[in-house]
Amino acid sequence: MLKMVLIGAVAVPAIAVGSVAATGVVVVDVKEPREGHHFVVPVPLALAQAAAAFVPESKTRVRIPEKAARYLPVARQALEALAAAEDGELVRVEEPGEKVSIRKEADVLHIQVDDHGEQVNVQVPIRLALSVLPEAGGRITASDAVWALQHARLTQVVDVQGKDGEHVTVTVY
Amino acid sequence: MERVRTGRGLALAAGGALLLAASAGAAAPGGSPAPGRGAWVHVRVEEEGRGSKVAVNLPISVVDAALQAAPETIAADGHIHLGRYGHDRHDLSVADLRRAWAELKSSGDAEFVSVEDDDETVKISRAGGLVLVHVEKPSGKESVRVEVPIEVVDALLSAQGDELNVRAAFAELQKRRGDIVRVHDENSTVRIWIDEAN
Repeated sequence: MLKMVLIGAVAVPAIAVGSVAATGVVVVDVKEPREGHHFVVPVPLALAQAAAAFVPESKTRVRIPEKAARYLPVARQALEALAAAEDGELVRVEEPGEKVSIRKEADVLHIQVDDHGEQVNVQVPIRLALSVLPEAGGRITASDAVWALQHARLTQVVDVQGKDGEHVTVTVY
Repeated sequence: MERVRTGRGLALAAGGALLLAASAGAAAPGGSPAPGRGAWVHVRVEEEGRGSKVAVNLPISVVDAALQAAPETIAADGHIHLGRYGHDRHDLSVADLRRAWAELKSSGDAEFVSVEDDDETVKISRAGGLVLVHVEKPSGKESVRVEVPIEVVDALLSAQGDELNVRAAFAELQKRRGDIVRVHDENSTVRIWIDEAN
């Protein structure tokens, strides 16, 4: 009997942790050196998706204007072609004090912005962008958008370095 | 019986561990299929006054995909509907352009158009396999140079009636390597070309 209790005591948390790990966790890490604050907020994707599902549909649905929706198949085909294309730098903009670079490496689009010392790095897996793109009808729900982060597993999707040393990262595990 | 239950628990734990490993494996960034070397369209815009530089490099397959999927109102089956421009006396339909092109093409290397006025000089000529459009300001500070392969013009005009076959023209343009457009003025330069460098 004791063995059963022990197995249960180990298995239940293990299954809970395993389920959370299997469905994904978004970790938001915020460092503010001036204030000495450091927050780490892990959000299980399944929980975020469940929470999003409770929000009234009318509040979470994003309706794409009809004119823009007609270009969605174009965007989808272009993204699919981009995924299959060779790696390389797609866009580079340089102005005094500002730099923007978008480059493709394997299945990921790396967007780097340096705006007068403030640095923003965003990594978007192309599969993530494809899954967020609405299908015909041009509508996407918040719940779908949250679930799309499944395609960004093991990726630091956002890294923002402020001028005053603030540092924010969002990583999907 | 207890041993059986314990074994089942271990099996569940092992199964869970396998599921975790499998999900982690599925989530790990996989290697993309090794694509063949393709052509890239490059656009460079430099503005010396502002100190700005813009570089856009797009795989030709991406441009092609966008063109293939273009909505009907912009390109229906690869044709753009033009019709006639307004009602003034200088209308030029695509059908007229097609007839003129057929005659010009048969004349070999020649200067088709040369317009010189106080503001600028415009020359359109054929040199070998290229149609050259050259616009220049007298000061020499501004110039536009466009080079279009003859096959691209042929493909563009290969549709019927007042339609341009943009898709066929782009298919031909994909074979081009080198400059397509160069614009240079006092403050900026623009260059568009195709090569296989990414």
